[in-house]
Amino acid sequence: MIATYRTLLVAQFQQASQYRVSMFLYLLFSLIRPIIFLAAWTAVAAARGGSVGGFSAADFAGYYVCMALVLHFTTAWNAYEFEFEVAQGRLSPKLLRPLHPLHYSVVENITWKFFTAFGLVPALAFVAITFQARFETQWWNVALFVPSLLLAAAIRFFLGWIVATAAFWTTRVNAAVTLFDRIMFIFAGQIAPLALMPGILQSIAYVLPFGYIIGVPTDILRGGATLDQALLWMGGQVFWLIVSYAGLQLIWRAGVRQYSAVGA
Amino acid sequence: MIGRYARLLLVFAKVETQYELEYRTNLIFSVLQQAMIMVTSIGAMLILFSYTTTLNGWSLAEMLVLLGVFYIVQGIGDTLFGPSFERLLEHIRLGTLDFTLLKPANGQFLVSTRHVKLRNSAQLVLGLVVLGIGISRLESALSAAQVAGFIVALGCGFALMYSLLLVLSTLAFWFVRVENLLVIYGAFVDASRFPVDIYPGWLRVTLSSVAPVGIAVTVPAQALAGRVDALGIAALALAATLAWVLSAWFWRRGLRSYTGASA
Repeated sequence: MIATYRTLLVAQFQQASQYRVSMFLYLLFSLIRPIIFLAAWTAVAAARGGSVGGFSAADFAGYYVCMALVLHFTTAWNAYEFEFEVAQGRLSPKLLRPLHPLHYSVVENITWKFFTAFGLVPALAFVAITFQARFETQWWNVALFVPSLLLAAAIRFFLGWIVATAAFWTTRVNAAVTLFDRIMFIFAGQIAPLALMPGILQSIAYVLPFGYIIGVPTDILRGGATLDQALLWMGGQVFWLIVSYAGLQLIWRAGVRQYSAVGA
Repeated sequence: MIGRYARLLLVFAKVETQYELEYRTNLIFSVLQQAMIMVTSIGAMLILFSYTTTLNGWSLAEMLVLLGVFYIVQGIGDTLFGPSFERLLEHIRLGTLDFTLLKPANGQFLVSTRHVKLRNSAQLVLGLVVLGIGISRLESALSAAQVAGFIVALGCGFALMYSLLLVLSTLAFWFVRVENLLVIYGAFVDASRFPVDIYPGWLRVTLSSVAPVGIAVTVPAQALAGRVDALGIAALALAATLAWVLSAWFWRRGLRSYTGASA
């Protein structure tokens, strides 16, 4: 398996290095949303005389810089391509190969994140400086952040595939993807840190998987949680990882049986 | 002359609508998607306002007005000329623009409006609803001058957006692959859902000059809130006219570099 992945990675790296410019431009999307909401919360903090529920403007900046990083490294876009592949019947040759199609997109995903990281880090440093971000990161935050980010990326990846497999039944996944994206937009900690979600919305956010993809790794990295809290959250991540993996297994098997290439 | 082009526009809209109606489920889902996006962005706004009554001087009612304007501007762009410009890029790359240029009508008009996409006008309708709710909750009643200022500012906003899209698409004559530039444009459009004055200097300047989508949305909303004077509107009108003329010149300049399919 390691040898397979090495081969796939090399091939994908060569392919990706042809499209360097466009990859960096797509980075803008990982950056612009966090900056928009950072600016909005900075304005709210100013209107309240400096801070909102314990967050000062500098804390918001720290939160959103970490959030942009997490958002970038957990993203998965396969659902968008999957509809196209199923509708065009392009999935068929992939299913015939001895390797599950999932592995190809894992490699594609890793390659993209690796390349774009070179543009992301200086851009985030610029945002952190212009907004005078404050981080309370300690050594254990970094130590826990790495596994937490990996868990988050895996959950996001599996959930993305679950949404994508809807294509086996409808070939119109677009609406499902939008619904997924918008629920994630509200509950993942993008429009507000989870701690600031008002009332019942906060409880919902901690039950749904989305907060464990974005909000949790972000708060762990910026130092916004105690050690106990962080460990508890990571337990939640492990739970969602198992659920999403098992869910994907079930749905994928049912879906492939359902699949008949369009035009076949 | 104008009558002829209005008729042409009507024909384009009719043809594209007939085409859309062939895929009715798609149409319904597309409208649902636009509604979902809007409901969630209003939700995001309400969460922000659960902590404050004003955002950099903007009240919730004024923010709803702004969000309404945002979706109206984006809705018209996505309905009228966005899809057409996407096709233009394809035509330039494949060399099939020849067929468009040969037709007995203004080339710029044809490439800007040929592919009207009526399904995207759902945003426009929903935007009008949000705008109406926002206006009804404004503290003071609207004066005739405010409404006039709003209409002029909105018209200027469209002119600015159109000019920018035309310039970006025209660049394809030299660089062929400019989809990436449209991606940047999309990112800036996204930022214009909040008033430009909440952003730090570098982003505010970008949204008001190189990519004036920010002021295209903010100024009409300011006009309704009574926070922009006649001089401001006049300056915007001047800038919009200038942008319109320059972008048309740039388009003609680009066309001269077009070599066609078999050349």
